[in-house]
Amino acid sequence: MIKINRPRIYSKYEINSIVFYGTMLLLMPIVLVFTYVFDAFTNNYDVRIYLLILVGITVLFTIIGTIFLLIKRDKLKRMVKATYVQEFYYLVIISIFGILGLVVLYKYLGGSPEYIASILVLSLLLFAYVLLNLGRKYFNLNYGRKK
Amino acid sequence: MKKRQISDESLNRIIKYLAIIILGFGIILLAIQFSDFWNWILRAIKSVIIPISLAYFSALIIFPLIKYLEKKGVGPRGFSLGLVFVLTVGLIFAAFYFLTPLIINEIKNFFTDDYPVIVDYINNDLRNEFLFGADLYDKIIAYVNETNLIADTVDSFVPKLITSLTNMLLPLLTAFALLPILLIFYLNDYEVIAERMRSIIPSKHEKNVAELSSRLNQTVGAYLRGQLILMVVLGSVATIAYKLIGLKYYFFFGFLVGVTNIIPYFGMLIAAVPPIVYTFIATSGPGPLLVLLVNVAMQFIEGNIFQPLIMSHQLSLHPIIIIISILFFGSLFGAIGVIFASPIAASIKVIYRFFTDLKKEKLKNSTTEATSS
Repeated sequence: MIKINRPRIYSKYEINSIVFYGTMLLLMPIVLVFTYVFDAFTNNYDVRIYLLILVGITVLFTIIGTIFLLIKRDKLKRMVKATYVQEFYYLVIISIFGILGLVVLYKYLGGSPEYIASILVLSLLLFAYVLLNLGRKYFNLNYGRKK
Repeated sequence: MKKRQISDESLNRIIKYLAIIILGFGIILLAIQFSDFWNWILRAIKSVIIPISLAYFSALIIFPLIKYLEKKGVGPRGFSLGLVFVLTVGLIFAAFYFLTPLIINEIKNFFTDDYPVIVDYINNDLRNEFLFGADLYDKIIAYVNETNLIADTVDSFVPKLITSLTNMLLPLLTAFALLPILLIFYLNDYEVIAERMRSIIPSKHEKNVAELSSRLNQTVGAYLRGQLILMVVLGSVATIAYKLIGLKYYFFFGFLVGVTNIIPYFGMLIAAVPPIVYTFIATSGPGPLLVLLVNVAMQFIEGNIFQPLIMSHQLSLHPIIIIISILFFGSLFGAIGVIFASPIAASIKVIYRFFTDLKKEKLKNSTTEATSS
């Protein structure tokens, strides 16, 4: 039997799941980034309580979203697109804010400022690797391909 | 040697082209004779074209949202249009309301804290640190003082700057003042206007024109929406990154990154200059190398991840094309020409590609016809 090397096209269910869980994973850093840039915290406010509240909200959203995804599962499984450019574009944007948020989280948790650049570079590389693989495997986007 | 004969067909073609060239020269000569009249007409056309194109480009961004709302059952058109309009205006107003005080505050702080330090540095420390020695520095300063170079330059430069700014700002302000009114009418009767435009075109070309306008709306609209999102995202990322590395006036520099990103590829380079220059002069904060690194990283993300996602490979424009279009449309339409240079260039590329496809299709059809007969 001849094996045809054709990429598998995933349904909207799989793509929406990746996008949703990715968003939930990065929700806390994204919120942190904006609180940081607008100086939402005063010094006497306990950051750890705020972080706990954020974790609670994220867990709640994840549960609601998972239930919603499971309800819509059959309908979404029937929906297929050739490429998922818009969804990938969204994932890239939230990942960039997420990376910056991770650095803010590190700073809030009392990390030394001298390692910020190293953490930023490492997380950037890690995210780029994960995103490129996700894009190639699930979103049908291949950046390495020649024009 | 036998002399090659020119066929009647070739001769006819040569005469036709010659006639066209002579006619063209005649028209140019006439236009030169009545240059004042043509300038008057061109100015009138320009003043109409700018707000109309601004409304068209804005409609390309907003209309899909109205269509989406209508698809979801939010209607009639007036209601969905009103909703989107209120949302857009609210968003712009909120951005101005929250960001303007922060940026103004930073500019004020710069003039109270850093500006005296910079002046002091130029007057005192720069002499000691001057690359070619203190003697040469003294000679340069003496020459500048003797010839009154700075005062003369400022005297001649400032009035010119004010005049060019007024010339640039007036049409810009008029266009922006007219924009909401034009946009409401255009979006309300979007399909009707498209239908009327189509009715002007001869029925022979109607199908092709419809196809071309649909391609233009799709590609240029996607490009504009993507570029707008990119401006907001990169502006925010720059602001956060600048704050993380401890750069002062991060809101202003981040805002600069967002605004200049309207010019693809080069906007980021332009925006990188002020913070780097500032870090050279500033006594505290990060070094210029770190700021440069942040900008290089952002430029890399923009050029290699976002631009290919926004523009499909087919529509991607070469940086040289972008420079040429910025220079050309900038000199034609001023600031608005610079802003809209890349979408106009993208539109031209779409039109060119459409005609190439059309030619290929015609050739294919004629070959099929020939083989079948």
